[in-house]
Amino acid sequence: MAQPLVKKDDDRDDEVDYSPFLGIEKGAVLQEARVFNDPQLDPRRCSQVITKLLYLLNQGETFTKVEATEVFFAVTKLFQSRDMGLRRMVYVIIKELSPSADEVIIVTSSLMKDMTSKTDMYRANAIRVLCRITDGTLLTQIERYLKQAIVDKNPVVASAALVSGIHLLQTNPEIVKRWSNEVQEAVQSRAALVQFHALALLHQIRQNDRLAVNKLVSSLTRGSVRSPLAQCLLIRYTSQVIRESTNDTQTGDRPFYDFLEGCLRHKAEMVIFEAARAITELNGVTSRELTPAITVLQLFLSSSKPVLRFAAVRTLNKVAMSHPMAVTNCNIDMESLISDQNRSIATLAITTLLKTGNESSVDRLMKQITNFMSDIADEFKIVVVDAIRSLCLKFPLKHRSLMNFLSNILREEGGFEYKKAIVDSIVILIRDIPEAKESGLLHLCEFIEDCEFTYLSTQILHFLGIEGPKTSDPSKYIRYIYNRVHLENATVRAGAVSTLAKFGAMVDGLKPRIFVLLRRCLFDNDDEVRDRATLYLNTLGGDGAVVETDEGVKEFLFGSLDVPLVNLENSLKNYDPSEKAFDINSVPKDVKTQPLAEKKATSKKPTGLGAPPPGPPSTVDAYEKLLSSIPEFASFGKLFKSSAPVELTEAETEYAVNVVKHIFDGHVVFQYNCTNTIPEQLLENVTVIVDASEAEEFAEVASKPLRQLPYDSPGQTFVAFEKPEGVSAVGKFSNMLRFIVKEVDPSTGEAEDDGVEDEYQLEDLELVAADYMLKVGVSNFRNAWESMGVDFERVDEYGLGPRDSLAEAVNAVINLLGMQPCEGTEVVPPNSRSHTCLLSGVYLGNVKVLVRLQFGLDGPKDVAMKLAVRSEDETVSDTIHEIVASG
Amino acid sequence: MILAVLFANSEGNILVERFNGVPAEERLHWRSFLVKLGADNLKGVKNEELLVASHKSVYIVYTVLGDVSVYVVGKDEYDELALAEVIFVITSAVKDVCGKLPTERLFLDKYGRICLTLDAIIWKGYLENTDKDRIRRLVRLKSPTEF
Repeated sequence: MAQPLVKKDDDRDDEVDYSPFLGIEKGAVLQEARVFNDPQLDPRRCSQVITKLLYLLNQGETFTKVEATEVFFAVTKLFQSRDMGLRRMVYVIIKELSPSADEVIIVTSSLMKDMTSKTDMYRANAIRVLCRITDGTLLTQIERYLKQAIVDKNPVVASAALVSGIHLLQTNPEIVKRWSNEVQEAVQSRAALVQFHALALLHQIRQNDRLAVNKLVSSLTRGSVRSPLAQCLLIRYTSQVIRESTNDTQTGDRPFYDFLEGCLRHKAEMVIFEAARAITELNGVTSRELTPAITVLQLFLSSSKPVLRFAAVRTLNKVAMSHPMAVTNCNIDMESLISDQNRSIATLAITTLLKTGNESSVDRLMKQITNFMSDIADEFKIVVVDAIRSLCLKFPLKHRSLMNFLSNILREEGGFEYKKAIVDSIVILIRDIPEAKESGLLHLCEFIEDCEFTYLSTQILHFLGIEGPKTSDPSKYIRYIYNRVHLENATVRAGAVSTLAKFGAMVDGLKPRIFVLLRRCLFDNDDEVRDRATLYLNTLGGDGAVVETDEGVKEFLFGSLDVPLVNLENSLKNYDPSEKAFDINSVPKDVKTQPLAEKKATSKKPTGLGAPPPGPPSTVDAYEKLLSSIPEFASFGKLFKSSAPVELTEAETEYAVNVVKHIFDGHVVFQYNCTNTIPEQLLENVTVIVDASEAEEFAEVASKPLRQLPYDSPGQTFVAFEKPEGVSAVGKFSNMLRFIVKEVDPSTGEAEDDGVEDEYQLEDLELVAADYMLKVGVSNFRNAWESMGVDFERVDEYGLGPRDSLAEAVNAVINLLGMQPCEGTEVVPPNSRSHTCLLSGVYLGNVKVLVRLQFGLDGPKDVAMKLAVRSEDETVSDTIHEIVASG
Repeated sequence: MILAVLFANSEGNILVERFNGVPAEERLHWRSFLVKLGADNLKGVKNEELLVASHKSVYIVYTVLGDVSVYVVGKDEYDELALAEVIFVITSAVKDVCGKLPTERLFLDKYGRICLTLDAIIWKGYLENTDKDRIRRLVRLKSPTEF
């Protein structure tokens, strides 16, 4: 906009001096607000004062209750003025002041008058203000006007009423639901924004009525929707309908897919994106369906607008999680985004590339990332570290370069969360990739030489104590650990002493030298460090000679406590030192909060460091302890596998129950985790009655009821079955929860004495072949396959019949066997006609199994599969074939 | 929901902040987060060039308009693309009120009208009006022309 030079200079002169709000002060403005009470109102002056009040509020200033009330009452006087500008300001300031329910009354009549005014704009604004400050009772009085307003021919009035409806639906749903006829009419409005607002409200009113939503979508996708915003809403609702409906089984077509695909050619970018996203998020999306969406997203990757690049790369990043091969075509465009000025875009591009890249591109990618890491914030770096960890687990042969990268960034500047993410990743790689162990441990050792975080130092020392003694040359770690004793604070020193002692206990040859070091720690100036050194010197035995440490001593010093730490903590808090010595046997072993903790644990990312679990047990070890503490199950032997919890109730029911299947060689134990969600009830003597008539090989041998199940305090009941030893028997079990229910007085929390017996039907539970398989990966499948040999190899071919896609067939077989896919072979490239998938696992009886699956399309849809199994036991190789043949 | 609209001057002082559905105790955090985001990234950016960021499940679109920076924060249906639309409406309406790219002084001079403009554009976290001519008329309590 060209303007004369002189004018510009004039402006500048004006602007240097002061802001119109310079030195503004709340008290003074409140004084000024008295001008609202003047008998002769000055609209200009009043508007200025309201602006000042708005400025204060917009700066985060708050008014006390008295101040707000005073201003509000004064503002209501301004309704006397007929000045339009002032009236507009009055509407805004009333909304900002949000008067309380008892004050609203003073302004309702003025607003009701405006709402029925002949001036459209008074009506629109009065509706907005009234709906902001009103409560349910007033709403019934004005409902008639609001319904009229929804179908008002002035779009501003209609939109005001519709948007009010969207807000009021949260507080007064019954009333707003009565407006659906008017809203339905407004959906057909010729005004674009009215249609947008009406569509949003109508969908919210009917969102629980699947048929109505389906009808709405059907009619609108055929008709014309006027604004891009409304079109985006329609796409979202269409996706919802698609999710809830099934494909046409005859033609394989997905309902409404053509509509979504058509939207990819819309003129508004917003609509194109919404459609592309909707397509990429379709359940079981095929590569044919995906291709057009990926193509438009790829075009946006090179857009000049950062928002479009961000949206495109964000969507592709999500697609890469489920369909990495579909995104590979975009890799070149994505690589150019690594240098994008917007770091959010660059980070998304990198993490997408890490997901879609193949083994050969890893080294090149790492080079590019190294340059990029130095100039992004920690939060982005953490995302990259997580992606690199996943990449390394996918391509274990690349562990050397990826581990080097992690150790390099570990030495650079960074905050605690970032460093923790790197350390966690290294720990996970050490655990999962045996070849990476030694180099990983040395990287960690070097890191603690210069680590400023006590928490990380102690955790790494603890981890070194577990893994270091098992390496080929444990002595090389001692120097790093002993250095901590000299250079660190007391917490780290104590940790280092314990780690040294672990080396002494586990590696007999090192014991004399460890004793020398521990003796030096006896002169430490910290009590805990000295106490630990003394304890270890006196218990490890042999007085520093090369002798084996007694197993009992090892268990005493380094074994885990046999009780949940939460319970131990509670017991210690309640312990009164003046009485007798603390008895660890008095700590309860029942785990109260287990089901909730398990749910959280499954949704969390894997945590790296092997510190003792802070809460209740969630691993097989912890389950093993729990089960062995129950006398009825103590004789079942070693626990082979515990499944993830399987829900037996719908969400938000009265009683929430999930089950964990524990597999032993000759037994199966079902652990039912129960939660009572009714505050007014106490359940007692809770058991699950299991009908095993459809599981012929199982015989119930024990049941352990739960004595009490109070509100929101989860507990467990168990049922155990005997099955033929070493056999992977399968079957279906139906479950009925039986209990005595007692009423609880909510005010006192006390339960009545008498209860009533009641039952609650749970979902059926199935024991399948995959329950007998542990998912255990191998880092190099070919080596493992070769070394297993052909002695117990069994090969056969199977026809899998017509399938939606090759990927679907691959997934079905993986799930059927419950094995760990290796080297990323679970991902099927789009449009492939054949695929090889490699699986690894450990079968019941601790038998290692490797599987090579070769799939091929036989005709348009039929899938054929060649299954080759190698294991350490020929019966297991045969069993795998039986599972596939019967599955 | 549009969680926040924020205007700041070139030194990072807040000129307007309007939050919707953000607890009072989190507002300070958002304010400083956004101002820092602007300080880190807005230097040398052209007027109205949109920048984008995401923080957990929340999206932020921001830009420079004369001497002021504008930030819009949203979640759920208000993702980066919807927010780009919202910020476009806001910047064109503010330019319309100021008659040109606003200096800080000009922005403050037109403060009352800008508040009315924002009120016409966003209502409790929802985008209500998008056309700048209509918004200009609504601020003056006049019916839209196309009607």
